[in-house]
Amino acid sequence: MNSLIVFNLIVSVFAFFVCRAKASRLREKHTLLVASNTHWGWYGFLNVFIPTLVLGVLIHYVGIYFINSGIRSSTALEFASHAEYLLVKENVNASVILILDEISQIRFLSSFIVIISYLISGIEPALLAVQSGTTIEHLDLVVLALKTKIMALTATLVLGVVIALMQAQRSINTVSANYNAREKVEFVIISLLGLSSLIAVLTTVGIVISLLSETINFAMMHSIVDFLFGTVWNPQFTSGEVEGYGSDLGILPLLWGTLYISFVALAFSVPIGLYSAIYLSEYASDRFRSIAKPVLELLAGIPTIVYGLFALLTVGPLLRDSFTQPLGLGSNSDSVLAAGLVMGIMLIPFVSSLSDDIINAVPQTLRDGSYGLGATQSETVKNVIIPAALPGIIGAVLLAASRAIGETMIVVLGAGAAAKLSLNPLEGMATITAKIVNQLTGDTEFESPETLVAFALGLSLFVITLCLNVLALYIVRKYREEYE
Amino acid sequence: MLDTTVDNMIEEKPKIIARDVKVVYGDKEALRDVSLDVMDKTVTAFIGPSGCGKSTFLRCFNRMNDTIANCRVSGSLIYDGQEISAHDPVTLRARIGMVFQKPNPFPKSIYDNVAYGPRIHGLSKNKADLDGIVEKALRRGALWDEVKDRLHETGTGLSGGQQQRLCIARAIATEPEVLLMDEPCSALDPIATAQIEELINELKQSYSVVIVTHSMQQAARVSQKTAFFHLGNLVEYNDTGDIFTKPSDPRTESYITGRIG
Ligand SMILES: Nc1ncnc2c1ncn2[C@@H]1O[C@H](COP(=O)(O)OP(=O)(O)O)[C@@H](O)[C@H]1O
Ligand SMILES: [Mg+2]
Repeated sequence: MNSLIVFNLIVSVFAFFVCRAKASRLREKHTLLVASNTHWGWYGFLNVFIPTLVLGVLIHYVGIYFINSGIRSSTALEFASHAEYLLVKENVNASVILILDEISQIRFLSSFIVIISYLISGIEPALLAVQSGTTIEHLDLVVLALKTKIMALTATLVLGVVIALMQAQRSINTVSANYNAREKVEFVIISLLGLSSLIAVLTTVGIVISLLSETINFAMMHSIVDFLFGTVWNPQFTSGEVEGYGSDLGILPLLWGTLYISFVALAFSVPIGLYSAIYLSEYASDRFRSIAKPVLELLAGIPTIVYGLFALLTVGPLLRDSFTQPLGLGSNSDSVLAAGLVMGIMLIPFVSSLSDDIINAVPQTLRDGSYGLGATQSETVKNVIIPAALPGIIGAVLLAASRAIGETMIVVLGAGAAAKLSLNPLEGMATITAKIVNQLTGDTEFESPETLVAFALGLSLFVITLCLNVLALYIVRKYREEYE
Repeated sequence: MLDTTVDNMIEEKPKIIARDVKVVYGDKEALRDVSLDVMDKTVTAFIGPSGCGKSTFLRCFNRMNDTIANCRVSGSLIYDGQEISAHDPVTLRARIGMVFQKPNPFPKSIYDNVAYGPRIHGLSKNKADLDGIVEKALRRGALWDEVKDRLHETGTGLSGGQQQRLCIARAIATEPEVLLMDEPCSALDPIATAQIEELINELKQSYSVVIVTHSMQQAARVSQKTAFFHLGNLVEYNDTGDIFTKPSDPRTESYITGRIG
């Protein structure tokens, strides 16, 4: 493929300059052109580049189709399951890549070199060279795949060259006063922009659909009522049992753990974040602000795994040594409080920078109005700025809450893995996110309720955070409108 | 109108006496050596092209320039027999109220907006007392009849002109002696403007009003004394009638005939 892309680009750029030059010559003859010279240049470029690109992609996938159906219909193998077929396919692909690498060790123009050396000496030398290092499974399939691949490459290169040259010729001939090349070029640009946003939307939809479908799979193996209302979380990781029997998979203990830890985190981070935002935006000197704000933002850039380590190695043991053990409450270093506090530290810069933006958005005229009536700065903050910023601050808190609920690393490391319904903050508890990690890293087969429950948990989490985000955005937007 | 002005001048002693007032923002001079007397029970208008320092000068009177970090005021400003810089800004601003260019009601109820100042300064003994203060201020702000049935609705829901009258009522609720207005009508339509001007005319009975305005017609309609500023200088300060009929400085004449500004 890459040889073609290089060639393509050369021809496309060539078409760009020739079309542009031709357009500018026309213009010099005082012809009024509908499109600008640059538009004509891009017209030539796109006219060559897009068809050849589409052709290359098309042939590539046709090749893959033939290879796959070759593997599937291979008489020597009987596939017991889809997974086995996938495994063979993977093996074949890996070998093909090894051999292609052996044929052309130069990346640049590699497909060109592959075709030439195939025409000169076939694939046997490369096959032998690779075989001397490793054993190749399913040799016949590999050979078949390789030949198909090289055929596809040849077709791409030959057809690509022909089409590129034809298209270049055609677009150069189209350059004229009245043809609207601008419209065509702009259509391509708009399509590209639209495509980008479509990709963003479609991936989200795709993720939701896959979550949903796996959750439905789960619901067919395990009672959904038990999942939603069960108060016990106790998955059995022994295989060979009757499906869905051995395990209790109730979400409530996990939901409780999630909410409890998030609550601790918010109780810690919201006041501190809010007060620091008020101090920074209303009282701090410019010099202090210019140092403190970047530092706070730095805090926001620390990876959560680092916070997790902090919870596991510092805060947890500290709490254990200073509270849990002296009070005779056990010897746990994993606790809701440790995870919540560390998560709170993580959220402080988030709350603070959002609140800072919101407080700064309160118009100066309101402050002036308050000062003009003789209010002091603190009275102004308390009576005017906070009430005016309140809806926005609530929105910020909800956004922070949705981050807390979705946070994983800190709770995996800091809160332990015991799912319980308990009020004691010095005990360890498990959250939804931590259990998703648990269920998927366990050594069970994929198609079991114990594994699939991870998707149901993921979907529940998604629904919760989605609701919080929508609510928060709604409040923040409504608040913004008030001051437009 | 001219006669009453002359009477006022003879009867009243100055409310605020400014001498050689100079204001700088950082190292940029915004106002230089301005001296004038603001009379009691008189409307004084500040006119002049944008950026000539009218707002800056107005903000000297209630020390609002203190809230601007790089602003320095020098010279002498005497209010009530004492340097303004020696007054406590909190009580000073209760006695010298201010109304801003853009109506800026707080996002609170109409009642709470007006009660804001009295509450801060502890002017009421009890709820009934406060109710009385609010009603009186709203009546003087010519807004009572329009809002008396919805005192507890939010102030930001009023029309622009009503909002500005609310801000005036809010300013006079602390019983100030001087009312500063910085282009109070520039965001309003002609009808609301006329209502505010009428209100200013009444407020003159009890307060000294200083109004910054862009409109010379407005200055001529509402004021008895007019000061013309140009590039940070006070060019001319005189009875409004004289400024508009026989200006003594050529720059004033150019401005009021529309040649500069
Ligand atoms: N906060 C400020 N910081 C710096 N310069 C200012 C500030 N406010 C006003 N100025 C400057 O002071 C001069 C006078 O401004 P201002 O008093 O607002 O004029 P006016 O109200 O007459 O239009 C202008 O040149 C303006 O740029
Ligand atoms: Mg101004």
